[in-house]
Amino acid sequence: MTNLVVRAGGGAIMVAILLIFGYLFYVVTPFLLPGSIGESRDYALIERSPLMVDVSENGEIFVRLSDTGILEFYDSASGSAVAGFNLGRPFKAAKRAYPSVDLYALVDSQDQMLFVQIQYQVAFVDNVRTITPKISFAFDNAILALGDHDHWDIQWGDTGLSLALVKNQQVTIQSFPNLKRDQPPGAAQSTQITLPWPAGQVYLGPRNEWLLALSDGGEAEIYDLRGVDGPSLVLSKDLTPDGVDISSTLSLLGRYSLIAGYDDGRLLQWMMFNSEQGLQLEPIRQFDLASPATRLIPEPRRKGFAALDQSGTLTLLYPTSGQVIAERRVDLDPTLPMVISPRSDLLLAAGGDGKVVAHPLENDHPEISFSSLWQEVWYEGYDRPVFSWQSSSADTDFEPKFSLVPLAFGTIKAAFYALLFAIPLAIGGALYTAYFMAPEMRAWVKPGVEIMAALPTVILGFIGGLWLAPIIENNLTGFLSLFIILPINLALFALLWRLAPTDIRVRSTGWYALLAIPLVALSIALAMQSGPWLEALIFGGDSRDWFRRVLGLDYDQRNALVVGIIMGLAVIPTIFAIAEDAVYSVPGHLVRGSLALGATRWQTLVRVVLLTASPGIFSAVMIGMGRAVGETMIVLMATGNTPLMDFNIFEGMRTFAANIAVELPESEVGSSHYRLLFLTALVLFVFTFVLNSIAELVRQHLRGRYGNL
Amino acid sequence: MEIYSRRDRSMKAWFASGDPWVWLQAGAIGISITAVLGVLLLIAVQGLSHFWPHPVERIEYLEGENVTKVFGMLVERDQISRQQYLESSGITSDLPEGVDIVTRRLIKTANRRSNPPDFRWVFEHRIQHTSEPPDVLVLERLEWGNAYGTPQALSVNGRFTEAITGERLMVALAQELRHIEALRQQIETLQREQIQPLLLKQERLRENLRATDSADLSRTGVQEQLVEVQRAYQAFNLQITNLEREIAQERLALQDPQGRVQYEPLSGIIRAWQPNQFSTLDKVLHFAGNLLGFVLDDPREANTEGGVFPAIFGTVLMVLIMALIVTPFGVIAAIYLHEYAHQGVLVKTVRVAVNNLAGVPSIVYGVFGLGFFVYFLGGSIDALFFQDALPAPTFGTPGLIWASLTLALLTVPIVIVSTEEGLSRIPRNLREGSMALGATKAETLFKVILPMASPAILTGVILAVSRAAGEVAPLMLVGVVKLAPTLAIDGNFPYLHLERKFMHLGFHIYDVGFQSPNVEAARPLVYATALLLITIIVGLNLTAISLRNRLERYYRGLGA
Repeated sequence: MTNLVVRAGGGAIMVAILLIFGYLFYVVTPFLLPGSIGESRDYALIERSPLMVDVSENGEIFVRLSDTGILEFYDSASGSAVAGFNLGRPFKAAKRAYPSVDLYALVDSQDQMLFVQIQYQVAFVDNVRTITPKISFAFDNAILALGDHDHWDIQWGDTGLSLALVKNQQVTIQSFPNLKRDQPPGAAQSTQITLPWPAGQVYLGPRNEWLLALSDGGEAEIYDLRGVDGPSLVLSKDLTPDGVDISSTLSLLGRYSLIAGYDDGRLLQWMMFNSEQGLQLEPIRQFDLASPATRLIPEPRRKGFAALDQSGTLTLLYPTSGQVIAERRVDLDPTLPMVISPRSDLLLAAGGDGKVVAHPLENDHPEISFSSLWQEVWYEGYDRPVFSWQSSSADTDFEPKFSLVPLAFGTIKAAFYALLFAIPLAIGGALYTAYFMAPEMRAWVKPGVEIMAALPTVILGFIGGLWLAPIIENNLTGFLSLFIILPINLALFALLWRLAPTDIRVRSTGWYALLAIPLVALSIALAMQSGPWLEALIFGGDSRDWFRRVLGLDYDQRNALVVGIIMGLAVIPTIFAIAEDAVYSVPGHLVRGSLALGATRWQTLVRVVLLTASPGIFSAVMIGMGRAVGETMIVLMATGNTPLMDFNIFEGMRTFAANIAVELPESEVGSSHYRLLFLTALVLFVFTFVLNSIAELVRQHLRGRYGNL
Repeated sequence: MEIYSRRDRSMKAWFASGDPWVWLQAGAIGISITAVLGVLLLIAVQGLSHFWPHPVERIEYLEGENVTKVFGMLVERDQISRQQYLESSGITSDLPEGVDIVTRRLIKTANRRSNPPDFRWVFEHRIQHTSEPPDVLVLERLEWGNAYGTPQALSVNGRFTEAITGERLMVALAQELRHIEALRQQIETLQREQIQPLLLKQERLRENLRATDSADLSRTGVQEQLVEVQRAYQAFNLQITNLEREIAQERLALQDPQGRVQYEPLSGIIRAWQPNQFSTLDKVLHFAGNLLGFVLDDPREANTEGGVFPAIFGTVLMVLIMALIVTPFGVIAAIYLHEYAHQGVLVKTVRVAVNNLAGVPSIVYGVFGLGFFVYFLGGSIDALFFQDALPAPTFGTPGLIWASLTLALLTVPIVIVSTEEGLSRIPRNLREGSMALGATKAETLFKVILPMASPAILTGVILAVSRAAGEVAPLMLVGVVKLAPTLAIDGNFPYLHLERKFMHLGFHIYDVGFQSPNVEAARPLVYATALLLITIIVGLNLTAISLRNRLERYYRGLGA
């Protein structure tokens, strides 16, 4: 019985270790799985010529609008009709009112526009879940007379409703500012633009501030719609620089980017951004298809899209990560309505003879690829590729920036400064404590350092952020002078001590550390007191300003200097304990042998003890590094947590660990962001585990060697 | 064994002896020790001085062209350069040429509502006059922090009277505050003993009504009872309203140095004292009272005032549950590794892995705890047992039990290592002797080995508890909140609510120090909380260290 319990307990521990790794890995695995386009499912419906198809948010109901004005709803599982409405008039065009997915703009044969809103009501009738589609006419049943036009674009969001109507070279923009779903539209503010060529396509830009017009020949013009004196041309550009014609275009979510498909199978992402030269429209990314794209279909809530080409291949693409996610040969007619579901898990297309074709899409984490995590990415709105971490924003058309480089950089920066501070102090201290210190004092110092190791990091972080950071900020010079004043004081005191009688000198070697404590305290007081004078003397009264002007170093109150010192304090006991142990357990006969051969104690320390103990000291540093890399609270509290890419000691950073602590509680379970945070945790886990394993192996090797000596 | 020659006293010999480098090494350990002592001292001084009744001064200083008069308590004093002074004040005309250093004081002027801000930097050369008027009164209020002022008059039955002044005013105030406190107690008793049961009964009757259909004859009876209950409830409510009105009616007129009078309702005053009249004994008593209040009271004003009782409670409870989980697991695993497992490559690997687990960053455990315990285990429990409440999660959300489990996982290596250490020190001949006398392996384990190893186990558990008490990062993911509405133990079944969120001292420090809007006002409290936490942790560690030392002597005595 005992046997069983004990063995079960032992097994449980092993399971726990494997479980931590296994579970973290399990959460991350979806990144490794390829996306896919599933086999189509065909629904044979009543034959009507379709104007628009769509699918409900949860994918349970299909919608089809025919040109005769019949709006039908079908169950996606069985294909049977759920509801149908006759809108009472024939239509010639219909689409989602970008960027919403439940409001549709319909244009009837009289060139009038209606807005249909679809809602799905879920009810339990006899414990069976039933979904009832409801339709209503938005904007207080508004009917807008559009007049004669070739084609149109619509945008409806926080800034209101905007329509762009094209007739040859004339573009009419009608806007209804701040129009809400149930308000009557009132009179439109109407403006006109005359293009130099007949427009083939127009797109209303972000927040209705811009208009992008394209000619069939591939020329583009961008107009600023914000001006008081009407629209002004801000950019004119030929999008076919090497003479290859454009076969199809698409504006991605947010409408900062235009995807253009060319006759040679290329797809270019043209992005508008502001730079020093003003607004620019540049190709920032290229995809290559086997044959020219005939149809581009946007994802309604992400910046991805699907491309159908001449050979009948459907390709799923994602610009930010530069990925081709999946490909499949399909049987779809590019001229018929086609749409990607709100959750991007289904591509729905109308076929001939009344069919509706549905391709399931497997594409949960398109924004994650090796290049989007570790290489510079040209994000929308930027004038060059950058490393950036910005996981969320209030905007719905926000492009998440998932570069791990700034976080890895911050982690290394924090650990570097902490170790820079900790290694000399810890190893110096360990050598002295193990080799010179009087046993009576050592008996106090060892537990003292143990207490230091037990200090909660939240307290150290708080001391760093709320006490040390303001002190350093107010008296930067005084603090920096400490790094000079302290060694000088030590040297002066050592010189002074040299004059003491030999007997005292010899006997006091073991107590130097005790003598050093008041000296250190005194030096700190001296440095802080002389700070303002030194500041006036060297830096003209303002050291932070001097650093900014002369060295180009910006100053944050909570910076790497503070983190280095405070995290250094947290790391010192770790390194100290292992290094001291390694030095102390150097076999005594080695030391005695060396001394017997006439070496001084110092020579013995440097040439014999240090050499023998060096693997132990190395493993101490490894373990210290592991601690510094994963430390959370200190970094969280003593830096500004901005993901910067600057090694400047006077600026902050954001580390993996702090990033997890800040962002994981708000992250949506199962999202790319959530899994990415798990990935960083897994990286931390593996990194520290490997580091510690190396250290442990070195130590065991060392122990074996001591045994042989 | 000496590091330098007795005869040769030249500089060269001194350098060759390595003495300067030994000094540098000694300096390194000196810096570390100074830093630890400094941190402990800083926290102790700052944390305790928060409770000490400092005198409140009347300060007249120039603000621009005007003289401002405030009551203020000195918080700190520091020095800035002329340049920084120029930046912060915009002028240097009032500084004599050649004065490069400016001393400034941070004073707490309280009165956050009537005369904000409650903390100000005042330059010493602009202070014209300071005094310590004996009649300055400090009010600790339920809201808006403290108030400073000279008491002018007290209302009696809602009307101010000139009759009570000076000494007698203070006596009357103290009496009135005691009276209000008594009334409050009365309200609380009413709430607890009358209102609560009535509400429960009302809820039960309503449920009863819902369960029966309209044709049921017993309905009328139930309805009558319900009316009865509601009538009784209203009667008690009226009583409480009257008491509250009585509490609310009295006010104190408090004058600030500018001559403006504020009328403070006595119902908002927790305590009132005149620090400038305190004798040393008064100060000590006041200090002790503050200290006690800090430990026993609930927090107020978004945690920046009041006590930290819920945080202490949460920390202790979480750590206790963790210890209950980690002790058996750690001990059994150590016994398995040391006594039962075949000492091959596998066990060696597991031992290294366990050791390395101690070096894995704590936040990783938090991530694992959130994903596995909270969302996976908790989510499954919800789906199985708490379906009615879904989609609102019961266990599928961060809570006490998940925090304890996560920290148990985090600290299990500590217990294993410590226990194994203890086991390996038990001499072989004791085991063999026990077996030779006919004991089974289990008997040897329970009667010989475990009792001998128990101090080592205890050391491990204490160290684990100390580590867990100070850990914050993983807790932020798996169950800690800034303000828990209820404690995890209360009088309602099942008494211990493992799914509830809790408060924690370490997180309290982070939250109050870094997330609160008024950092200056919160700072003393953060120091006090840090002092409390550090006392607990250092205490635990010292216990573990002394236990270990005693153990070493004990084993040495065994001849191991």
